[in-house]
Order: sequence, then structure tokens, then C-alpha cells
Amino acid sequence: MDTMGPWLIVRGLLVTARHFFRNLLGFLRRRPTIATILYPEEAQQWSPAMRGMPVLVQMENGKERCVACGLCEWACPVDCITIYPAETSDEVERYPEIFTIDMSRCMFCGFCEEACPEEAIVMSQRVAIATTEWRGSLWEKRDLLVPVRELGTRLDHIRRDYERPAVPAAAPVTERVEKQ
Amino acid sequence: MAKITVDGTVVEVPDGGMLLPALLDHGVQIPHYCFHPKLSIDGSCRMCLVKVEGMPKLTISCNTPVRDGMAVDTRGSEVAKARQGVLELLLVNHPLDCPICDQAGECYLQDYAFEYGTREARTLEPRRKLLKRIDIGPHVVLDQERCILCRRCVRFCREITETAELAVFNMGDRSVIDTLPGEPLTNDYSICTADICPVGALLSKDFHHKMRVWFLDETESVCSSCANGCNIKIGTARRRIQRLLPRRNDAVNETWMCDHGRLRYAFVNDARVRVPSMGRGSTAVATAWDDALDEAARRLGVLARADGGSALAAIVSPHLTNEELFVFRRVVAGGLRTAQRDAAIPLGRADDFLIKAEKAANGQGARDLGLVAGAGDLDLAGIRAAIEAGTIRGLLVTGTDVWELWGERSELFARLETLVVVATNEHPLLAFADVVLPGLTFAEKDGTFTNHAGRVQRVRRALDPAEQPSDGNIFLALGRRLGMEIPPGPFEPAAVFREIAQTVPRYRDIAWDAIGSGGVPTAEA
Repeated sequence: MDTMGPWLIVRGLLVTARHFFRNLLGFLRRRPTIATILYPEEAQQWSPAMRGMPVLVQMENGKERCVACGLCEWACPVDCITIYPAETSDEVERYPEIFTIDMSRCMFCGFCEEACPEEAIVMSQRVAIATTEWRGSLWEKRDLLVPVRELGTRLDHIRRDYERPAVPAAAPVTERVEKQ
Repeated sequence: MAKITVDGTVVEVPDGGMLLPALLDHGVQIPHYCFHPKLSIDGSCRMCLVKVEGMPKLTISCNTPVRDGMAVDTRGSEVAKARQGVLELLLVNHPLDCPICDQAGECYLQDYAFEYGTREARTLEPRRKLLKRIDIGPHVVLDQERCILCRRCVRFCREITETAELAVFNMGDRSVIDTLPGEPLTNDYSICTADICPVGALLSKDFHHKMRVWFLDETESVCSSCANGCNIKIGTARRRIQRLLPRRNDAVNETWMCDHGRLRYAFVNDARVRVPSMGRGSTAVATAWDDALDEAARRLGVLARADGGSALAAIVSPHLTNEELFVFRRVVAGGLRTAQRDAAIPLGRADDFLIKAEKAANGQGARDLGLVAGAGDLDLAGIRAAIEAGTIRGLLVTGTDVWELWGERSELFARLETLVVVATNEHPLLAFADVVLPGLTFAEKDGTFTNHAGRVQRVRRALDPAEQPSDGNIFLALGRRLGMEIPPGPFEPAAVFREIAQTVPRYRDIAWDAIGSGGVPTAEA
């Protein structure tokens, strides 16, 4: 094997050289042929199956879809989610008054997303969330809310993945039986 | 005893009862909603169907008397299919509220639907819409959509409290539980209806949207709010008490508890005194435990030596456990060298069911252990008179009830040369204390309470007080500093209770381990 050593080095360098010239050629033609991107100026395109940090779905009316049922908190293997529920006068009685995720603990496993009965917490494509102090890794509700239109591909993906109906049909409302 | 065959095995059950409770006592799981051991038989839910040999149809086990030689099938395919059918009908109109329902996690409908139900719904019609979040009383909220009409709450209000606020209105498919207009659910035991509700139709407002039940740690304990000593479960999470639930004890509270006791736990969570302090009013400063104990012992010791104890008195808290009271008695006699002590027992409203007049858990224990002034002793009024006369100049107070019992008279406490208070919560009395020593509440310590009828019952630690010493340790530390000969080592409730059992006649031969979860009666005094 020792006699192979120099040849292996040359072979490795040839790989490097090939990528260098291909990259250079693509750059000059403005048609890149390989996947090296100019991070952070350019963002990478990931598949919808990629799990970044969990975020909360914000409905069109600006409110969170979360009803603070606590299933994600329970499913979380590292206990990074903390929810304090409270009551609202909305039709859905409950909402999370406090919803905190400790991103320094979160391991992006996606159990919270799978446990959620309301499609209210989903894994986003955000990964660049490093901070210089621990406090900064505590994400509050207002930091976690992401408008639902930005999460369409992931929502479609998890409905496919967990074999859920495409869109939960809104139950037709019959007339309310009045108190007699 | 009757011999019956259940699923092929022969078991012996008592004669005369119904089949369902007999089977449940034997550990046979039979799903049921409307049956409750302390209420009359309703037979409305049809969930406890079993097959009895010789009977033409399936029969509800809650209303089938036990008969010698009967053969019961609780698991066959016929029974399983009937259960599935009953569940499907119950779920036809049940809303999919589980994520926002407080009952989720301890819901009979949820549990049985998982165990016996099908996962598919076959109905095409929309679910029936009814009223939600109806405010039916000061402590209970009603959701008619979730109700399965088992009528447990209706029977509770008719048979246990005899107030009959709740009733079923309308007929058939339109039946709903409700109250009459202008007659809300206001009885003293109203939250028990939320306990016995098998689904989330009746919920306690206090616990509403507060905490998921699966996050709660439950500790068996005893209610601290009156002398009845109702058996409870303390539900804790996030280092706070989240709720109190009654626990079955047929000798004390059956399965009930009053709203007052159930809702009185905020003092454990909030406005606590956590660090000792020295100095009166605005001059009070937080200090280390050792300094506070030294100062308390120095001040009390000066008076104890000067006047042979006649200048000192002790006010006993009836919220302390028997073990703490026992140690406290020794410190009063040996450290303060005084016989002047009395318990400050707050009194209040009583009824003929569970609520007792003595609003403290362990007044009986204080009497048994000789901490209440007897004939010829200086009682609470006598101590007050002696303070006014100036003969008593120093007071060691446990608990803060004496402030209210003496009419919140600040000038009385201002007269004292020395006031040492062991208290759990912030209180106006503490402004007059020279030394404040933080105590622990019933939820943070192990020990025993003796209820009004002389039943010794265990309280268990539900919350960890971290570094804070228990009241027993405070008394031991004071005693040592006052020159008493106390063997080294911390306060051990089990060891102290053994001493009580040896020295106090009423507690003779009661073993700490024998008290268990239900308590044991003491000998008649």
C-alpha cells in the first residue's frame, strides 16, 4: 500500500483540479455546473423534507394557529418547548400566552410537528440561528410566528408524509340550538 | 359470598351488591360512564354491557344483582361489538375538542374510544351544535356539546348536596344538561361535579386552560383547610400546585371535597417568606439562617433566664404536623422554660357534611399533644391580657392566625420586647417581628395530621423546598441554641412519630408505616 501513496495524493489533487476548472468554467459562462454556492450571499434550495428550526404557523388574521394543547411539549424528547396556555374569547377557546422554544436544546427531530393536531408547528428551512449568548437562543412566540403562505410547501409535505387529508374540511355549521 | 364465573374463572364476590362494582373491585376492567360508587344507579350510558348466561340479551352490569352461580362474559365478541356501537353513538355528536379540552388525558371517552372504539366515523351529517362555555356557577363552566348525558352531575346535586341545581332539559336527541334560569350552581361542593364528569362537559374554572393533566405529578396528601382532613391528591407542575383533587376514603370524605378547601392552595405558591429576616417594620433586613436563629435564641434566652419563663409565651399553629408539634412542645418546655402556650385555631362556618368549624388541619393534634391550654393554664385570651399588663414580654409565634384572632391589634404586638415568628407567608404580623423564620406549608413536608375524629393521616411532600429547612428543623435548632440537650441530626418525622406513639396514650401502638394512604383511627381519648 505504501507504494500507492504518492499516486493517491495525485488522484486526490486531480479531483480538486477537476472541480476547480469546472467551477471556473461555469463561473465564466455564468452557468454554474456544480453545487458550490456563494454562501451566505446565496441561499441553498432545500427539499421540503429538510427539517430546519420549528416555527409557529401564523394565520391570515395574524393569530397563531396553536391552541396550546401541549402535545408538542409532551412529545419533545429534549423538553425544549414551554407553553403557558390561556383563555381567549375567540371560538377556539385557548391560545398559548407564552410559547418558548429553547433552540440551544432543540435537535430538529420534528416530533413536535408530527404530534401537532392543528398543523400549528412545522419545521421551517431556517438553520442559521446561532447566537453569542444563551438568552438569544430562547425563541418567544413573536419570534417564532411565520405567515402560513410562506410555509405552504412544508405543510403539503407533512400532509403527504403523515397521510393526512389535504386540507382539513371546515365542518358545515348548522343552526345553533338556542337555549330554551 | 357468591361464587360467579367471570370469563371462565371463578371468583367470590359479596352477596347483595350489583355486578359492576363487584367486578371492578376484583380488578376486572369494564368500561362505564354513569356508574359511580357513591351515587344511585342510573343505567343511562349502556357502556357496561356484559353477557350473562341464561339471559336473552346483553345486560348492564351496573344494575344486575350478583347471583350465586352466574356466568358472566365481559370480553366476548358480542360484548365488544355492543361497546363499539355504544361508543360510536356517543361520538356521533361529540366535538373534536380534545386539543382545547382540559379533560383530555383523563377523559373516559378518550380512553374507551382508544381501547374499545373504532377509529372511523361513519356519519355524514354535521355534528350537533350546542352551547359552549356556559357560566353555570362561580366555580364551574359547562360545555353542552361535550356532554354524554350520563347524569352523574344531576344525581350528585340531588343526592349528595341535595340542592338539585342541575337537570336534563328537553327530550331525546335535544337533551342537554343545564341549570334553571337565575339558579346557578352555587353549592359548596360544586367542583365535585367537574370531578365526576367523565368527559370535559363540566370543568373547574380554577383549572380551566391552566395545565395539561399529563404534566402533573400527583402526591397523596390531606387537605389543610379544615379539621375534617379530606384525603386529596396534590397536582404539581413547574414547582407550583396546579390543583387539588379529592381522593377516595370512605371513612373521611368518600370521594368528595368542598370548593373552599380545593381552591385554597395559592398560599403555597405565592407571597411566600423564603429568607429569614431580623428587625421590625422598615428596619427588617434579610439574613442568613444561622444569624437569624442565633438572634432568635439570644432574645428568647434572655427573657427565659431573667424571669424563669413567666415573661414568655408560645402561640402554637394548628397547621403544623404532629411531629413538629411534638418537637415544639419540648422546645417550649425545655428551651423557653414556660408553660404558657395555646393554639391559635381559626374558626369559621361549618355544615353537616364535610366542612368543619375549625379552619386548620391539626387542631386535634395540638390538643392531643398538650399544646392547647387546659383548665388553669393561661389561654389565648389570658396571654393577650398578660401582654397588655406587661407581664409577658416575649412571644414565640408559629403561624399567623393569632393576628386575626386578637383583632389585628398592632399596638399589642408593638408592646412586646421580643417577637419571633415562624411564618409561611407574607403577613401584617411580620412587621412587628424581631426575627422572622420562614416555615413550610403542608405541601412541602412529610408528617401526620389528626383530624376532628382523631384519625391520623399522612401528608406527603409534593413540592421540594430546596435548601429551606422544615419547621421541625427550626425548632430543633432553636432548642439547641437555648441550651437543650438534643442529639445531633436533622428532624426525622418517622422517628419523632415513633416517640409520640411511645409517650402519648392516644397514639399508642400506631406504626408510622401502618398509616398508609388512608390513615388509621386513634384510640378514644
